[in-house]
Amino acid sequence: MSEIKLKELIKNFGGNSIAVDNLSEVFPDGEFVCLLGPSGCGKTTTLRMIAGLETPDSGEILHGDKIFFSSKTGELVKTENRNLGLMFQSYALWPHMTVYKNIIFGLDMQKKTSEEKEKRYLELEKLFHLENFRDRYPSELSGGQQQRVALARMLAIKPSLLLLDEPLSNLDSSLRLEMRSELKRLHQSIGCTIIFVTHDQMEAMTLATLIAVMNNGKIEQIDKPMEIYNNPKSLFVAKFVGSPQMNIINTDKDKELALCLSNKLNIQKNSVKNFGVRPESIKMVKNNEGDINAIIETIQPTGADWIIGLNIFNKSLFLISSDHPIAKENESVGVIFKSEGCHSFDSQDLRIHKN
Amino acid sequence: MFTSNSTRQNSLLVSLKIKLSKLLLQPTFLIGVILVIILSYLVIAPIVSIFSNSVSLTMMDAMLSGGKDGEFTYKYVDRVFTSSISEKIFWIPLKNSLTVSFFATLIALTLGLILASLVTSTNIFGRKYLGFLLIIPYMLPSQAMATAWLTMFKNRKISGPQGMLESFGITPPDWLAYGPLPISICMALSYFPFAFLLFSSALGKIDIQLEEVASTFGAKTKAIWLKIILPLLIPTTMSVLLLTVARTLGTFATPYILGTPAKYTLLSTSLYSSVRSNDSGVVAVIAIVLSLIGVMLLLVDIWVVRKWQRFVTVGGKGIKRQPSKLGIFRMPTTFFAWVIFLIAALGPFIVLALSTLMREPGNFSFSNFGLAYWTGVNVPGMDQPGIFTSPEVITALKNSFLIAGSASIICGILGLLIGYAVVRLPGTLISSFLRQISFLPYLMPGLAFAAAYLSLFAISRGPIPALYGSISLLILVMVVTYLPYASRSGISAMMQVGPEPEEAGMVLGAGFWRRIISILAPLQKSALIIAIILPFITGMKELSLVVMLVTPGTELLTTQSIRFLDFGYTQLANATILIIGVVVMISVLILNRVTKTNLASGLGG
Repeated sequence: MSEIKLKELIKNFGGNSIAVDNLSEVFPDGEFVCLLGPSGCGKTTTLRMIAGLETPDSGEILHGDKIFFSSKTGELVKTENRNLGLMFQSYALWPHMTVYKNIIFGLDMQKKTSEEKEKRYLELEKLFHLENFRDRYPSELSGGQQQRVALARMLAIKPSLLLLDEPLSNLDSSLRLEMRSELKRLHQSIGCTIIFVTHDQMEAMTLATLIAVMNNGKIEQIDKPMEIYNNPKSLFVAKFVGSPQMNIINTDKDKELALCLSNKLNIQKNSVKNFGVRPESIKMVKNNEGDINAIIETIQPTGADWIIGLNIFNKSLFLISSDHPIAKENESVGVIFKSEGCHSFDSQDLRIHKN
Repeated sequence: MFTSNSTRQNSLLVSLKIKLSKLLLQPTFLIGVILVIILSYLVIAPIVSIFSNSVSLTMMDAMLSGGKDGEFTYKYVDRVFTSSISEKIFWIPLKNSLTVSFFATLIALTLGLILASLVTSTNIFGRKYLGFLLIIPYMLPSQAMATAWLTMFKNRKISGPQGMLESFGITPPDWLAYGPLPISICMALSYFPFAFLLFSSALGKIDIQLEEVASTFGAKTKAIWLKIILPLLIPTTMSVLLLTVARTLGTFATPYILGTPAKYTLLSTSLYSSVRSNDSGVVAVIAIVLSLIGVMLLLVDIWVVRKWQRFVTVGGKGIKRQPSKLGIFRMPTTFFAWVIFLIAALGPFIVLALSTLMREPGNFSFSNFGLAYWTGVNVPGMDQPGIFTSPEVITALKNSFLIAGSASIICGILGLLIGYAVVRLPGTLISSFLRQISFLPYLMPGLAFAAAYLSLFAISRGPIPALYGSISLLILVMVVTYLPYASRSGISAMMQVGPEPEEAGMVLGAGFWRRIISILAPLQKSALIIAIILPFITGMKELSLVVMLVTPGTELLTTQSIRFLDFGYTQLANATILIIGVVVMISVLILNRVTKTNLASGLGG
């Protein structure tokens, strides 16, 4: 058992807002957990506290039955003794060491024999396709190669927990896709717990087995990716996950549209402050044949899909569809809302469950 | 009641335990605390001591006037500002200092601006080489120019070998040989490279598009310079102006060598004679005045930089300005630039070298040349051994290397340590305190700082022994004076590296010392070498800082050359200065090797 348990964790850097606010959560063993949230939400601080690079103001951090930190007993395990792997956004490869030296550094610290180091290096070299790079310096490698070296360096000491801090954000989009599948493959083959920090919801959706959406130092929701997408607990989660963003309809500002949606969803309009409609849950039909009529403002082809901007009673909405649009810009169409992508949120921005 | 008390005690213990393990986990904190303690003593104590000296009665005066030793008194303030000798020790030197600074700065500024414009933006011949050659005067010790001048223009007014001109039968008048004119010219020639450097870099930073826009409106080169480039250089000009004034006010060698024969005293030489006559109260008052002028100039500079912030041009696309064609002016301007190089850099070298090679000045016959002053054989009218055999020179050479060497090594390491503590303890009191205090010595001219050290370490205080007359005092005062530069470069070096390489090591199980040795030290290797060589160069040339603190046996090359001059051994003085020049040049070459860049940018000190 080597789950990560956070208990009433508080970290304050002395600014106006608290970085991590009374966080209690369990990240089960073997999961690929993704901490997702906007910048400044406390996700990196949480990760750094698990790594021991920051000390919490109070609370407890446990790895299995090992106490990393506890403000109750005063225990504090040094980063050096936590046996974990951490990968930085910048990779932090040491520029004065060759690929080989970088990768075996952790084994050096464990005073391994040179045969052991060589054996482990050869394994990693093969796993990450680093043949021929042994004597190169990090500055002589491409971004993708540097990333693989950083992964290999992290894994050399066989850590029981991997922490990744936005490891993909320095890569271009094609390389990112490749590295995503590499990471996924890695998780499946070594099976240890991975905690991954990102602000990119797409990355979180595709990689994680468990997503924890963070906001203002708190975890708003922790769930499986599709669960987060289909059943967001709050307006914040609903807005943060999904691209294009969920359309938000305020019941005070967009009265006509709100009325249409409350009829469709069969929900009391008074209890709702906002409606949320996923772009793929809007379907275009012929004029006057849908729930309501709309005017097409923009048509943006992405190749596989069409992103269409609609105007309904002066409210702009986006829909995404793989079908060729049935009308042109400035023409009027009918619109149908599919109820499984439509949500309603109360005055506390919490989702109202459908009956 | 009892239980709540014990839980409170318990929670206190627990938080103490966390604090303690954090401390052990982060020796940075300990390093920071130790640095704070050391620097507080080395930087603040001298300042306090000099202020207290200025208003307390010395033992000598107490005995003479019947007061109590250390009693509070305005005696020294009065003596400097209002007494019958105030004219002689303060007001006239102040007037002279301001006059000389004004002219020296004016010439240095003009030369710097003209040469920078020519070298960066026109097609004068040899512009590639001039960029480097014109900063050579900056690398020479400031007495090189003055002694070269003296060697050339000296007349019968003072003893020692004949001046070169006089040996040709031309007797230079006093006003040309000594006093304000030569002092201003020599200072200007020593300090114009500073202006040249700053103007060159400012010209390089001006976005070329600003000029191209003007030319699309039909502006000719002349109009572009008058309406765009020169106005944009105003903030740089102000900075150059203030910093050069500050520098000239603190210079000791030039006025000492060229002013003393004509009894032309500047604040720096007046301070020195007060030190020599053991008048520590007056020394303290003059030192405070010098520091206040320094602080004032710095504040004005900060204010100017802020006020002219809007003139800061945001970097363009890095396109270099096309050198404009000078046409018929190409030859005259080229001639001008090379003449300046000849007078300011090559000239002193040749004059100094020639004077040491000729037995009799001015006699160019072949038989008159020889290495007599170097080897010490058969020198007419000399009771001194040659440079290579002189025990004084050998001692001074050893001392110079020992003092400048140890000071620069300590300075380099201290600078990086301060950088480490400041960068790794962000937002703490320690961090900001270290940042401020390590900058403080910058405000005091070297002479004033030396005076402060003289009074602080003249007697033993508590566990700190009296260091006057020891090598360690000289090392200490050098370390503290160069600290502002060292800590600044240390901080920026640490900033550049960032915490991540170290954290990556931490995660893989490397402890504090291991991280320092395997990760941080190799990453900072070249920063450390630069941080050591730069103060070494400055230390080898240093005179004003150490001239009051040396005693027989702790002489440096620079002070030894002054001693030789005092005794009229011009050739030996010149040879000593040449040795300094050679050592500095070699250090500069090593530095260029290490950094693979032009040293120009680093020579702020």
